[in-house]
Amino acid sequence: MKLYSLSVIYKGATKSNLLKAAYDLSSFSFFQRSSVQEFMTFTSALIVERTSQGTRASVKEQEYLCHVYVRNDNLGAVVIADTEYPQRVCFTLLDKVLDEFSRQVDSIEWPSGSPEKINYKALDIHLSKYQNPREADAMTKVQAELDETKIILHNTMESLLERGEKLDDLVAKSEHLGNQSKAFYKTARKQN
Amino acid sequence: EVDVLVQRVVRDLSTALNRNRNIDEIGLIPCPEARYNRSPIVMVENKLGVESWCVKFLLPYVHNKLLLYRQRRLWLDRQALVDITCTLLLLNPDLTTAWNVRKELVESGAVSPERDLYLGKLALSKSPKSPETWIHRRWVLLHLLQKAPPADQNQTDAERSRHLSEQLAQTLQQEMKVCADAACRYPSNYNAWSHRIWVLQRLAKGNVKVYLDELASMRPWVSTHVSDHSGFHYRQFLLQELTGALGPPAGCSSNGERSGGEAPQRDLPTILQLFCREMELCSDLIQSFPGHETLWSHRRHVFFLWHRW
Amino acid sequence: IKDVILKPDAPSALLLDKHADYIAAYGSKKDDYEYTLSEYLRMSGIYWGLTVMDLMGQLHRMNLQEIIDFIKACQHDCGGFSASIGHDPHLLYTLSAVQILCLYDSVDAIDLDKVVEYVKGLQQEDGSFAGDKWGEIDTRFSFCAVATLALLGKLDMINVDKAVEFVLSCMNFDGGFGCRPGSESHAGQIYCCTGFLSLTGQLHQLNADLLGWWLCERQLPSGGLNGRPEKDEETGGFADRPGDMVDPFHTLFGVAGLSLLGEEQVKAVNPVLCMPEDVLQRIGLQPDLLS
Ligand SMILES: CC(C)=CCC/C(C)=C/CC/C(C)=C/CC/C(C)=C/COP(=O)(O)OP(=O)(O)O
Repeated sequence: MKLYSLSVIYKGATKSNLLKAAYDLSSFSFFQRSSVQEFMTFTSALIVERTSQGTRASVKEQEYLCHVYVRNDNLGAVVIADTEYPQRVCFTLLDKVLDEFSRQVDSIEWPSGSPEKINYKALDIHLSKYQNPREADAMTKVQAELDETKIILHNTMESLLERGEKLDDLVAKSEHLGNQSKAFYKTARKQN
Repeated sequence: EVDVLVQRVVRDLSTALNRNRNIDEIGLIPCPEARYNRSPIVMVENKLGVESWCVKFLLPYVHNKLLLYRQRRLWLDRQALVDITCTLLLLNPDLTTAWNVRKELVESGAVSPERDLYLGKLALSKSPKSPETWIHRRWVLLHLLQKAPPADQNQTDAERSRHLSEQLAQTLQQEMKVCADAACRYPSNYNAWSHRIWVLQRLAKGNVKVYLDELASMRPWVSTHVSDHSGFHYRQFLLQELTGALGPPAGCSSNGERSGGEAPQRDLPTILQLFCREMELCSDLIQSFPGHETLWSHRRHVFFLWHRW
Repeated sequence: IKDVILKPDAPSALLLDKHADYIAAYGSKKDDYEYTLSEYLRMSGIYWGLTVMDLMGQLHRMNLQEIIDFIKACQHDCGGFSASIGHDPHLLYTLSAVQILCLYDSVDAIDLDKVVEYVKGLQQEDGSFAGDKWGEIDTRFSFCAVATLALLGKLDMINVDKAVEFVLSCMNFDGGFGCRPGSESHAGQIYCCTGFLSLTGQLHQLNADLLGWWLCERQLPSGGLNGRPEKDEETGGFADRPGDMVDPFHTLFGVAGLSLLGEEQVKAVNPVLCMPEDVLQRIGLQPDLLS
């Protein structure tokens, strides 16, 4: 079981804004890591954009599960895991991170802050600690606090999109994805 | 024109491999177009990358060359064969015939077996389940085992046999590492895990300590790969061999050949402890990670072994 | 569980003409890069393509003479066949070549005695079969060996008892089979081993209830089947799962699967050899089935 990325994102009126992110891409082949990272960022931002306030959701995309929580104050976080990783531990992690982040970073910075400027350092530590869910936190404790029925499950990224909207088009249009990543996306789609 | 390009790339690739003996990974770099005047072979740290645009030219070209050679319609000297098969196999490790050419090169002494294990390791870093790569590996290992040790006149027999068993232990370790890497790269990697079983059966015949070490080192791995049925099957294999080697209960004849070479000494406490600890692990994982068929299937197997024992 | 979601717009009718067009076109783009990539298994590819065409009643669309010439060119001095010209001989492609020749009722086009010699020569002391002269052992090759000989009516040329003994030594506690003794059960290996036991008249050696149960557990809510616990499933569609690339291999297994499920638009397929029943009737080969 593996956690690949953990990001804190602000859900703005039209766009989402990446505030901080941590990655563990050691299990990917070396020359794909930068593209994978761009895609994880792209996907996380898209998911926050398409998730309403006060909602928890899990989105399945190929062999990955992206878990998202967007709070009522529009602060959101996404963790991308494999399908083996226990869902409820992911949501505990998201709660914890958002809690800590909002205490350490003033909400004035949320709409326009950027990863370079935001001073919040714990993300990498959380990501590596939670790689082993059993050591990270007492899991049984969490169960009571989280009502799993309130987590929306999307079986594909497509179900987050609007009518007529296509993932391929969004990828092609994205300014945040480099040419190499777009090429990577095309071959990855073909293989799967 | 393509000719010149391809020849240069094949040469760049083998130069890179020869110059840097610590390459531990190869991969394709997604890149639809060539950049002017730049080789598509890229080295970063110990990783060797091939830009994807060149594969479309490169592969059919080297592929055809090798097949012409195989039909005796083209002569290639040893070095050319070494270089061409290397390029070919790193791009398409399923090409059985190219691995066979490598076998002939190993047999003729043009390539050392160790070098070919290394080539296989690199191919697996890109294609961790390639069946042909694993098959070739087994052939090379058998070749290594059968090769008479170089007779050193000054060595005593005892020294020689110690040297041999050290070499064996080293090869064993290396294979376990290659299998473990491939198992991490692709979940439930059938070929990697069945290779690991094969290696133990060949290189550690009935060596209880090796089996116990394997069991111990697998524990953290399975605990973090709870849906990897192949990994759990490997544990089941170890348990089965161990219960056999540590002595079947009196009066119970087990089917087939047991792994124990010498008459097995019954070691009840160890066996009981093995079963207990396995059940504990299993219950614990099922509780922490509900809903995994693999864990239940493992539980069934442990009960089966216990029952049969 | 790792399962797929069948989209509401997934095709629900069987579009046989499209499948036939796809296969007919597949063989014609020979300079394609993808074609190079898969040349190492060309002979099996042709067998898949021709079998599915025959099951759909479209075999006449393929070029008989060209294929027979190709097969002849792939037979080596040792008697075995390679996947394509210039490749090395192997049991896998020897079976495919013989299967194709049976489809075309043309086994006499090649040197049969040498084929039998080749297969026989690959049997080992413990009864197992090597895939080729380099010695890799796998229950897949046991199947290839007996299937090839059964199609040629020459099963008695090998030590069948020993061969059976080896395959049975690969049976696991779950009733399934792996590639070698001690290896994990895998649906593909189980196909080979049950097929082997059928052809050698030893199906009673199976633990049918146990194995049947294991196989049932391969089915997932979408209806698709996986090959091992907690692996991705294959839906028995025409790619391996919805949205994936199509290929001749999965087209054959999709159509053959539908035939076994009673689809009347396609011919009856034999589950042991994955060939049209009428072809096997013509040869007079009826492998055992459990009832
Ligand atoms: C006459 C016919 C139809 C076939 C000829 C006989 C042969 C060669 C059958 C092959 C059966 C087969 C698919 C065997 C499985 C091989 C195997 C162990 C594959 C494991 O590879 P992974 O990629 O790890 O696993 P998945 O394929 O389960 O993902």
